[in-house]
Amino acid sequence: MTGRARARARGRLREQEIPLPPVGATSVQHILPSQLPGRLQPQHPHVPPAIPEAPGARGHQRIPQGAPQAQYQRRPEGQKGLESSQEQELSLADRGGRRRDFHDLGVNTRQAIEHVQESKTGSSGTLLKLTTNYFRLKSRPQWALYQYHVGYNPEVEARRLRSALLFQHEELIGKTHAFDGSILFLPRKLGNKVTEVFSRTRHDENVKITITLTNELPPSSPTCLQFYNIIFRRLLKMMNLQQIGRNYYNPNDPVSIPNHRLMVWPGFTSSILQYEESIMLCADVSHKVLRSETVLDFMYGLFQQIGEQRFRDACAKELIGLVVLTKYNNKTYRIDDIDWDGNPQCTFRRSDGSEISFVEYYRRQYNQEITDLNQPVLISQSKRMRGNIVPGPVVLIPELCFLTGLTEKMRNDFNMMKDLAIHTRLPPEQRQREVKRLIDYMQKDDNVQKELRDWGLSFDSNLLSFSARVVQGEKILQSGSVFDYNPQLADWSRETRGVPLICSKPLDNWLLVYTRRNYDVANTLIQNLFKVTPSMGIRMNKATMIEVDDRTEAYLRALQQSVTPDTNIVFCVLSSSRKDKYDAIKKYLCTDCPIPSQCLIARTLSKPQTAMAIATKIALQMNCKMGGELWSVEIPLKQVMIVGIDCYHDSLAGKQSIAGFVSSLNQTMTRWFSRSVVQSRGQELVDGLKACLQTALRDWFKWNNYLPSRIIVYRDGVGDGQLNTLVNYEVPQFLDCLKSVGTDYNPRLTVIVVKKRVNTRFFAHTAGGLKNPPPGTVVDVEVTRPEWYDFFLVSQTVRNGCVSPTHYNVIYDSSKLKPDHIQRLTYKLCHMYYNWSGVIRVPAPCQYAHKLAFLVGQSIHREPNLMLSDKLYYL
Amino acid sequence: MDKKPKEEQFRKIITFTPPLYKQRYEFIKDLVGKYKPKKVADLGCADCTLLWMLKFCSCIEVLTGLDICASVMKENMHRLYPLAGDYLQPAERSLTITLHQGSVAHKDPCMLGFDLVTCIELIEHLEESELKEFPEVVFGFMAPSIVVISTPNSEFNPLLPGVMLFRHPDHKFEWNREQFQSWALETARHYDYSVEFTGVGHPPTGMENFGFCTQIGVFVRKYPQTSGSAQSENTTGTVYKTVFKAVYPSLKDEKYLQIAVVNEVIFTAETMKQSLLGHLMSEHEEYNDDPVERRSKSQPSMNFFSDGIGKLVVEKSMEPFVNGNLVYIPLKRIFSFPRVNQLCGTFDRLCKLIAGKVTLSSDGSAVVFNTEHENEEN
Repeated sequence: MTGRARARARGRLREQEIPLPPVGATSVQHILPSQLPGRLQPQHPHVPPAIPEAPGARGHQRIPQGAPQAQYQRRPEGQKGLESSQEQELSLADRGGRRRDFHDLGVNTRQAIEHVQESKTGSSGTLLKLTTNYFRLKSRPQWALYQYHVGYNPEVEARRLRSALLFQHEELIGKTHAFDGSILFLPRKLGNKVTEVFSRTRHDENVKITITLTNELPPSSPTCLQFYNIIFRRLLKMMNLQQIGRNYYNPNDPVSIPNHRLMVWPGFTSSILQYEESIMLCADVSHKVLRSETVLDFMYGLFQQIGEQRFRDACAKELIGLVVLTKYNNKTYRIDDIDWDGNPQCTFRRSDGSEISFVEYYRRQYNQEITDLNQPVLISQSKRMRGNIVPGPVVLIPELCFLTGLTEKMRNDFNMMKDLAIHTRLPPEQRQREVKRLIDYMQKDDNVQKELRDWGLSFDSNLLSFSARVVQGEKILQSGSVFDYNPQLADWSRETRGVPLICSKPLDNWLLVYTRRNYDVANTLIQNLFKVTPSMGIRMNKATMIEVDDRTEAYLRALQQSVTPDTNIVFCVLSSSRKDKYDAIKKYLCTDCPIPSQCLIARTLSKPQTAMAIATKIALQMNCKMGGELWSVEIPLKQVMIVGIDCYHDSLAGKQSIAGFVSSLNQTMTRWFSRSVVQSRGQELVDGLKACLQTALRDWFKWNNYLPSRIIVYRDGVGDGQLNTLVNYEVPQFLDCLKSVGTDYNPRLTVIVVKKRVNTRFFAHTAGGLKNPPPGTVVDVEVTRPEWYDFFLVSQTVRNGCVSPTHYNVIYDSSKLKPDHIQRLTYKLCHMYYNWSGVIRVPAPCQYAHKLAFLVGQSIHREPNLMLSDKLYYL
Repeated sequence: MDKKPKEEQFRKIITFTPPLYKQRYEFIKDLVGKYKPKKVADLGCADCTLLWMLKFCSCIEVLTGLDICASVMKENMHRLYPLAGDYLQPAERSLTITLHQGSVAHKDPCMLGFDLVTCIELIEHLEESELKEFPEVVFGFMAPSIVVISTPNSEFNPLLPGVMLFRHPDHKFEWNREQFQSWALETARHYDYSVEFTGVGHPPTGMENFGFCTQIGVFVRKYPQTSGSAQSENTTGTVYKTVFKAVYPSLKDEKYLQIAVVNEVIFTAETMKQSLLGHLMSEHEEYNDDPVERRSKSQPSMNFFSDGIGKLVVEKSMEPFVNGNLVYIPLKRIFSFPRVNQLCGTFDRLCKLIAGKVTLSSDGSAVVFNTEHENEEN
């Protein structure tokens, strides 16, 4: 598999918003018929929800190890009846961690960092005018939101009834209100602090309602921010946008990609938050990939393709983990299992106690005819809580479920991804136009305008613009030569061609394993390597050629027989992108027999016109894997150890999480130490990281004979809402670990959270219209958060679409380094990833940590042999 | 005019399974199943639950709700929007759902031409003056083929604990069977309808003389449909306010039909192409020693497509073929697929619908794919 193919596969984990399953998906074969009734019984297909899924209930769990902020806290008494309402979020603050704080609202880290109290902005670089995808939210002067508590005597449970009783007094409270059953928000103040009114129920009971003013909220209070987001969702609904997951989509102009039965809905993702200077709406274009085929259609197709024998396994492999959308009520579920013993004629017990078959239920309830009575049923383990009860598994009928998102196969289909990219990757000018359309829609819609007016709010009609800085490009150093590269391309493969590497490792003794079919490919490869290696300064002997059968065992046997302690590297030419062979080879050579290895799919070398370029890349990659060094940039900071951390979560097997840990070993940042932590669910990630840091310091000492005086950690793989855990648990553990090294050892620590998935976009003003901002663009004003020491950096270039800036949040810093220095250092580190002779999106240690975690998570499943730990064997 | 919570009080002594409000709605659903009306209006639709249930009935093309209170409709009306699935696989039928705010005592031309009008637990909420206007508006003006009116049977009230006067504080009256039936018969006679009485909510055994808990009158118009809409459009202006309107995607709409046909044609052609290329490939690759990848050989390429069209003899001109980098899938062959056939009806229609949307051969007889740039990954 090529590195790119593997990297592509990773997209699925990032893009799909699926929680990890509560239990590992049961293997299909293990379902005994006797278990069946019990499995089906407790579940009624849900009666349609009044409201689509409450936002925020789903999402990534990047740190699943029991983040201790009480995710499953019981809800306070008296709120039981408040189910499924768009206003549910209002009570977010009251209900503690039940709903994720996606924007990490309550975490104020800047206040503890002394040297950035006055200013957190950098200074170097040239100014550049930017437009962003942010709109200011405006409220009239002296605006306030009035928060009331509403009490009932005698107590009334049902939310509907509570609302109905309260709104019998519309003349008192007015037409504009937001009410979740106990908290009432009004745009105006009532005459009295406490108002008592009486309402009559249908049973002629008198209920006393006490409306008490509890708060007068200024526009920037946290409760107000939640309130704005609720009101904004109301507006989106008014504009007839369909909510799917957390975002809203317009179903009226879908883009269809018929070859794959795909449909793409354009839509928006939006959030309103307090930013540096003002409260703003951040809106971005989002696309939802839907499929106009049902799970049953998909199963038929698969059956025809592969026949009966492997059908069940193939179904499980392709379907488990996918998210489906029900035909009849628009709910989304994750498939956790397929029950081959079940079928639509199975019955379940309804809430009134009667037994009914699925066929009959769907016919009566939704007029949906199920035509295939022999189809299996899908099982989804619902994770959402209803009150304090954890609901049982949900049974779904394949014929009534649409597939959503992309399968692994589709992602690997280059042509399809290309087709998709045409629609989803908008160039800056177009993206900006689409974002502006959201505000235009709002301005044209009378209902929306009225709602906003009633609340005394409005949105700026123009996108926010301001000046950012572009820091200067770096010089690339390679064995005495210094290069400038074209900052527009952010790539120096041309410039460094034919220049010796900083440190080259000889290929004296190496193996080349191939199948008979690929004999020619193997030979061509060797010839090409002989052509490209001399100019790099790599000494190379002819490889030991080993021909094997195209079976995994044959490869392994060859390795067992031929690898010696003197072997520099093993090269395997694979005939297909089948993962099992790759996994087996990597597993053997990373654990039992620690030797660097390079795999290549034969097809990659099949085109003569690209063969040389590929040979060059392979030579560089192999050199790095053996401990060689390619280039460096100037790093003025001395005695500093850089650490990169990233996580990989196996969403399919659902059991393991892997953290990759990488730390620099030398001043030039050309050598890296690495370890990984494999842990099952429920274990604390942080314990493993502590051990990693300890060994990293030991290794640093071995290399340098002293300990680093500064440690800078780039922490990637932090999910939305996980910041609090990091600040309160992980950082203290790091400090603890440093303390344990020695009493007189007191290094300075900086922890920076790296976030790639942000909705922020920047558009640079140029003579030719809006363009992507150039690499090196730093933004630390306006769109950053006042309570954080954070900045955005655009380090990479993209060929099509919009560049996505990376967000850096310094959550702990005792270094006293100026913001400018942190920003520059970060940018420098983005130049140091050896698998790409150009600038990348994140600092190299993060990308290395990612590669390591991915390799371990996908192929090795346990910590690789520490003999390899000072080499980039995972590239 | 909320109908659900009032049943709570029955539970102490008498419980209905399923709950009474559901029985009333089921009654309407059964009626719809029997008469297959195309245009249905629910007067006093409240939180739109009945409308939501009826939207799944495939005979209905126009569904309209009317209520005096806009806010009660607004609370749940989003349930009446089309779902993602409705867009992903547009239905054969068309469906438009509209909600109006207004009074049943007023005439509005938008209520003309309906096949079925339902008034579930409505009349007892009307003021005397409104009740007087009601028959003229519903039977005289709207004049649908069928009217269904349900109302509480006051004779049943003694069986309900806690009911002093009426079952609901907003009820202006509650009739016994005789009162309801005489009102209904008189109305039917006046407007030339026939009426039959029934009900839901059976009394407990031994108390059959109390009658149903809810009494229902089903009125059927005796005279054939007149071109009624013309009769009053000039005399009555619009008085109702439209608060909601949703047009469901339908294959009757040329736009959705075209999308569906183009999608189906391209997908079918693509699958055939893959299969054809897979077949050719497996002929070339003799020494593939991987047992799993041999499957393409064991399955002759065109095999499963023929299954779909039974024993149809495939003409030579319908076979897909490869010419250099180009793959040709004859349209005639694509048209023979049941799904495509069903969508288009005629071959000419197929050609018309995909014109300009699908790359065709120069004579327009086949879908063409260029395989040159495929698999160009690196």
